[in-house]
Amino acid sequence: MIHAGLNTYVTLSALLFVIGFFGVLLRKNTLVIFMSLELMLVASTLALVAFSRFNGTLDGNVFVFFILTIAAAEVAVGLAIIVALFRMRRTVQVDELNALKH
Amino acid sequence: MDIPSLQALAASNTWTSILPELMLGCLALLLLVLEIVLPKRLHSALPGVALLGVLALLAGQLLTACCGITEGESFNGLLYHSQEGQLMRVFFLLAALLTGVLGTVCLARQRVAHTEFYHILLVVTAAMMLLVQSNHFVMLFVTLETVTIGLYILVSYFRNSPFSLEAGLKYLIMGALSSAILLFGIVLLYGVGGNPSLPAHTASAMNFDELRAFLAANPHNFLASVGIVLVLSGVAFKIAAFPFQIWVPDVYQGAPTPVTAFLAVASKAAGFLVLLIVARTFSPYAWLLAPVLTVMAAATLLFGSLAALTQHNVKRLMGLSGVSHAGFLLLGVVAAGTQSMAVGAIYFYLFAYLLASFAVFGVMAQVAGPEDADQEISHYAGLAKDRPFLALVLAIGLGSLAGIPPLAGFMGKLFIFIAAFQAGLYGLLAVAVVAVVISIYYYFGWIRAVFFSNWVSPDGEAAPQPARAPVGLMAGLMLGVLALATIFLGFYQGPLGQWLNNR
Repeated sequence: MIHAGLNTYVTLSALLFVIGFFGVLLRKNTLVIFMSLELMLVASTLALVAFSRFNGTLDGNVFVFFILTIAAAEVAVGLAIIVALFRMRRTVQVDELNALKH
Repeated sequence: MDIPSLQALAASNTWTSILPELMLGCLALLLLVLEIVLPKRLHSALPGVALLGVLALLAGQLLTACCGITEGESFNGLLYHSQEGQLMRVFFLLAALLTGVLGTVCLARQRVAHTEFYHILLVVTAAMMLLVQSNHFVMLFVTLETVTIGLYILVSYFRNSPFSLEAGLKYLIMGALSSAILLFGIVLLYGVGGNPSLPAHTASAMNFDELRAFLAANPHNFLASVGIVLVLSGVAFKIAAFPFQIWVPDVYQGAPTPVTAFLAVASKAAGFLVLLIVARTFSPYAWLLAPVLTVMAAATLLFGSLAALTQHNVKRLMGLSGVSHAGFLLLGVVAAGTQSMAVGAIYFYLFAYLLASFAVFGVMAQVAGPEDADQEISHYAGLAKDRPFLALVLAIGLGSLAGIPPLAGFMGKLFIFIAAFQAGLYGLLAVAVVAVVISIYYYFGWIRAVFFSNWVSPDGEAAPQPARAPVGLMAGLMLGVLALATIFLGFYQGPLGQWLNNR
């Protein structure tokens, strides 16, 4: 059995966070950007649970429930906006969504 | 955990201390219920119900504010009630009321549902009121997200307009990105603060007082500094400070005008209050905080002023000039590190900014045509001849934003500059003075269009000017009161200024 310490979890979550961050900055498809955003939230959740476990405090575990709820609300609103925009513009590519310029 | 200890915890849940927020939430729910039970012909009265309710809450808040409140924590340290919190409750209620009045003007031109606009507006306002009183990172994050998610909906509210939806999508991506960054910072601080091998580690590291005590005991922890930088970046997105201001022009242009006003005033004020709270919590890390905020303030001031120079669309202009206003407020935040007077100056600046901004946005809502995103400076040509009242209110609002002497905006800038001078921030003050000069130039470009240009049709022919709708009673009253209050607050700061200076 592999022993995973606190550093393993924190490194993994930092890695996930960075992948998500660059996904948001570099990808062009709105849905992929949205997935990357969720990845960043999940990275925070993982670190939170790991810290909670290794520090012996419960706050982190409880905070995770709040984060899950917020992430669900964000997805509900976000997908609604994306669907409405797709119906109007027939595209979800970021570089084609540039009506707002001067 | 046994029953008596849970009872002891529950004893600090003083529900009466969040009565204004509870009532605002109930009012929001009442609107939805009324829309279901009332017949269709009575639905036009619902915005009135919302506005009257907010007005009543505002009156109640002003009456009880005089009696003073018990300062202190409630809900196990989730919230901290203070005089400043009371003041900001008044601020957000006022912003919601004015946004609601603007909403009655703008929503009438669009084929969208009305009730939900007021419902979300009230929920967001209640969340903002809780946000500025939060004393715990869970409370801060949950209320901040309630505000942000509500604003995603409001920004994309005109869902028949591709501009509004595109602005909503851009705000969604940028807002969610900043929230995720903020959250990761919170998690790092929680993890470090609870680490049993460090001195002064604490079981509830998300409480601001406990966290400050921990940071004071570990003044050079690497992970904690990363957490602090991440939290500051997340907040900088919300206040649109450089280099996190890229979303501002597009979102401000695409959003419905009342929502743009709400974003510019209430959302920015909430962001600054959060910044003040976290800066106070992170005060043991002043070696990191002061340089970051100083550079941010200088860059924000210069970028906002220079970018606003080239704008023709008035909503983009207001957005980018709002970035430079954020720079002035950041100057106040930097000064607040050493001068407590600067905090009072920030509050005064926010109130002056509220009055002037809503005066300008109120005129914009009147002048705007059916397409809300298309508002050019050239549309204002000849406004002084056509509607002298609107032109006068616009001139007073813009003059106050630019900081012309007898108006409230000038006093706000003066207080901030005095605080910065006392704190010895001479370099930043020089940058701020340059920004003021540039801002006078671009604001007066707009005023010149109002007073000294004649209407020219886009094709260069003598086409008739599009008719401007008459100003409604409620909107006219609002604009008049805002303009008078802007002049009045410039001459006489009265008890507000005195109270703020004594903090």
